Amino acid sequence: MRPLSRRTLLRGLGGVAIGLPFLSAMEPSARALGFPKRLVIFFSADGTVPATWTPSGGEFDFTLGPILMPLEPHRGEIIIIDGVDNEAAYHGPGDGHQTGMGTLLTGTELLNGTEFCEADCSDPTKTVGYGGGISLDQFVANKISESVTTKFGSLEFGVQVGGGSVWSRMCYLDADKPLPPRDDPAANFNDIFGDLAADPFGLENLRKQRHTVLDAVTSDYDALNKRLGKEDKIKLDAHLSAIREVEKRLDVVNQLGGSCQLPTIGDPGDLYNDDNFPTIGKLQMDLLVMSLACDLTRVASLQWSSSVSNKVFSWLGISEGHHDLSHLGDSDTVAQDKLTKINNWYATQFAYLIDQMKKVPEGDGTMLDNTVILWVNELGVGNSHTRRDEPFIIAGSCQNYFKTGRYLQYSGDYHNNLLLSVINAMGYPETTFGNPAYCTGPLSKLTG
Amino acid sequence: MIQTARIQCTALAPRRRWLLGAAIGLAACTGNIGDRQPGGAGNIGEDPSALCTSKQPGESPIRRMTRVEYDNTVRDLLGDTSEPAKDFVVEEEALGFNNQATALGVTQLLAEQYMEASEKVAANATADAAKLAQLLDGCDPAADGADVCGEKFVEAFGQKAFRRLLQPDEVQRLNGVFTWGLTEYDFTTGIQLVIQAMLQSPHFLYRVEFGMPDPVENDVVALDHYEVASRLSYMLWNSMPDEELFAAAAAGELGTAEQIAKQARRMLDDDKARQAVANFHEQWLQLGKIESINKDSAIYPTYDDALRPMWKSETQAFLDYVVFDDAKGDVETLLTANYTFLNKELADFYGVTGPTGSEFEKVDTDSAERAGFLTQASVLAVNAKPNQSSPVHRGKFVRERLLCQILPPPPNNIQIKAPDLDPNLTTRERFNQHDKDPFCAGCHKLMDPIGLGFEHYDGVGLWRDKENGKAVDATGQINDSDDIDGPFDGAVELAHKLAESDQVRQCVATQWFRFGYGRAEQKGDQCNLEKVQDAFAAANYNVKELLVALTQTDAFIYRRKVVPEGGGQ
Repeated sequence: MRPLSRRTLLRGLGGVAIGLPFLSAMEPSARALGFPKRLVIFFSADGTVPATWTPSGGEFDFTLGPILMPLEPHRGEIIIIDGVDNEAAYHGPGDGHQTGMGTLLTGTELLNGTEFCEADCSDPTKTVGYGGGISLDQFVANKISESVTTKFGSLEFGVQVGGGSVWSRMCYLDADKPLPPRDDPAANFNDIFGDLAADPFGLENLRKQRHTVLDAVTSDYDALNKRLGKEDKIKLDAHLSAIREVEKRLDVVNQLGGSCQLPTIGDPGDLYNDDNFPTIGKLQMDLLVMSLACDLTRVASLQWSSSVSNKVFSWLGISEGHHDLSHLGDSDTVAQDKLTKINNWYATQFAYLIDQMKKVPEGDGTMLDNTVILWVNELGVGNSHTRRDEPFIIAGSCQNYFKTGRYLQYSGDYHNNLLLSVINAMGYPETTFGNPAYCTGPLSKLTG
Repeated sequence: MIQTARIQCTALAPRRRWLLGAAIGLAACTGNIGDRQPGGAGNIGEDPSALCTSKQPGESPIRRMTRVEYDNTVRDLLGDTSEPAKDFVVEEEALGFNNQATALGVTQLLAEQYMEASEKVAANATADAAKLAQLLDGCDPAADGADVCGEKFVEAFGQKAFRRLLQPDEVQRLNGVFTWGLTEYDFTTGIQLVIQAMLQSPHFLYRVEFGMPDPVENDVVALDHYEVASRLSYMLWNSMPDEELFAAAAAGELGTAEQIAKQARRMLDDDKARQAVANFHEQWLQLGKIESINKDSAIYPTYDDALRPMWKSETQAFLDYVVFDDAKGDVETLLTANYTFLNKELADFYGVTGPTGSEFEKVDTDSAERAGFLTQASVLAVNAKPNQSSPVHRGKFVRERLLCQILPPPPNNIQIKAPDLDPNLTTRERFNQHDKDPFCAGCHKLMDPIGLGFEHYDGVGLWRDKENGKAVDATGQINDSDDIDGPFDGAVELAHKLAESDQVRQCVATQWFRFGYGRAEQKGDQCNLEKVQDAFAAANYNVKELLVALTQTDAFIYRRKVVPEGGGQ
């Protein structure tokens, strides 16, 4: 982020910024040296329609199909990745949607657990638990936090994701530690931007008091955790780490200015009415883009519904649920047309997200140039539940790491390779990710 | 490439009466049927009663408050009814319940929400002089000294917040917080910060249990009486103990099964028990899903989104009445009662006469068309599609929620082609494909023949005699059950069959076990389950007595001694 001048600050805060204690944005820290790289995950559910998703033509002279047509204005900034398999989803416990979702960003088999039983709850090998490892976004967030403390390590935005289960969790802090997204744009606004709108004197008192309280609370956990048995200790140690994260970030102060402005937050309406899906989604995307523009975080995800999503896309004139439709056969052309419409609508949302990121100028380019957005889906095709040939798309070159503007065809390369490539793009020279059995190195061809 | 998988769903294994509720020997539909162990892995030992001579508490994982429990607890602790937890991160669910210990972790966001909620609750509790005076319970900082009142508050309030007496190091730590607030700011701030620290402490947010120091046998210890008080209150009220429970704990009167049963019966007469039971029903019968369902108004012209909360109210009012007000209050009545609760709008929807206002009233139902909760619009509409009924979902609901059987997922890599909507065919005719196609038949024979018994109810739960101009055939078949295999005609007859089934009664007990204990039943739980089921049977399957029975097991009264992992004492 561009170092902010004091004048900008005063303007941004309407002249009340006198006597601000410290302004990390003005410190000669890593963030002042250049524009940071960002990672955004974009999830949509239930697979795609290969016939209308797949482009025709070659690597550079491709023609987008009906589903991806909304990305035409951005064809220079995307890579369409065709033919990559989620191999991890074919190992370990769980049904097609569960494994597709739980391995999507972790690249690791699901655990056994009491989430669900494949056949027999008392047979531990027949039970299904949560994801078996850290997810891509959290891995990158941890790496970033080794050198930079942003206000949030990562932000997870949900659009009508709802209740918690392995079907609805793709982000994981670690094995068995699902990280739920937040579905409420208004609550997100308050959490993310509340401080920016608050009185700085009051905030400083609040910060002092919070430190005092959290120090005492931390001592409580420290004292207790030593006395607990193994499983309970793991749980409460994780709670303690979460509190330490909160405390660590108490002193991070961001200021409005430049492209960083308070987003406007309209009324999202009933959070779980299908008809509000588009409105809520747009609000969440606006919040997501602004939280990146303000450098409140560098890692974000946007999860539209969850695997097995059965949203009714009434605004597209469709009255059946998405998941119900996705089960219908290839020969049912009416159903396939509707699925094409639904996936085309998601592509329109993806294009909106790209557009908004392009509106944030950074240096000679835009925020998109410093970002990689990865569009993921828990399935390849709904009616077969295949997790092979999943519809992946990259947008943004992540500071010229990826060579965009291309349609790349693969033949069953592992998706862990793609996850690894994203980690490499973000500046971390790892050599494997997820279960190494399904990772043979970075996905070929992406960098040119 | 779509591979062709060989699919066979084998029969469910026969179960003995005392088997774990979920221990269904149903082989996965994937792979070879030889994967299945004869008898199922849940079938442990041939005569468990012989094993029940020693104490078998099973596991006692540390339990974190759910959102409901948090809101109830601050209500009972401070009279705060602002429901601060309403916007907390949703719980991760397991086995259909949101209070399962293993699934409840804490993320940074939740930790932050705990912090912010504690600040709001503390501010509410000290909002004016009268409220502050109430908290201080007669201590006057001006007359008695700020330090004195602060320290008294820490001990007195801490006992309620932590649900036990405080340890000296805790008192010292919290006094330190108070003194800092007093010195840096003022008295009220000191009190607020103490409340904040307590509401974020593990001793508030979790039920921390170590049990009595001395084992009763081997590594089994009795819980201390404060721990028992919390177990009782969170199971039966989803909230903290009241004065009477605290007094009983302080007097050492929660040590015997009789003392615990006496308290449990008293607690079940309190309205807080109705809320907890409603919370169970909402999750067991998946009533929470009602809010997010959609129906196609072109197909169901009388449907309107405003009906959804009323459907839920109907079922909750019905279940509440059966459990707490019906003379029998048993499983049979839940499944077969000839009454329900309607207001005018809902009565109009069903096309019956009766209530004239918005209040829900008890209404007799036509016993040819309706019986118990299974035939209420809530359950029927949730287990249906936006534009049609769904024999698959309705059959699956009966299998999983009422028979405690777990159905395997569809196999990998097969093309699933559900039958097309066809204006000339009935749902049954369309779903015949599942019978004909060997890929589907293996598993769908477990769902469809039960679900087709509900064909008299359309996608919003209204009765129909005809579908697409043809007479409805609602005959069905139960197979792979313990004790109710055979044909039936219509959901009313199905409900009566289910009401006579030991498997269903045991399943109700198992679902309550999971909800009440916050965990799945495990291999060490045969004796606990057997004891609960015997007491349930002895009480003619009265649900309130089932809840009392759940407080009488080794799993409830004892735990295994904690072996510290961190090298502490």
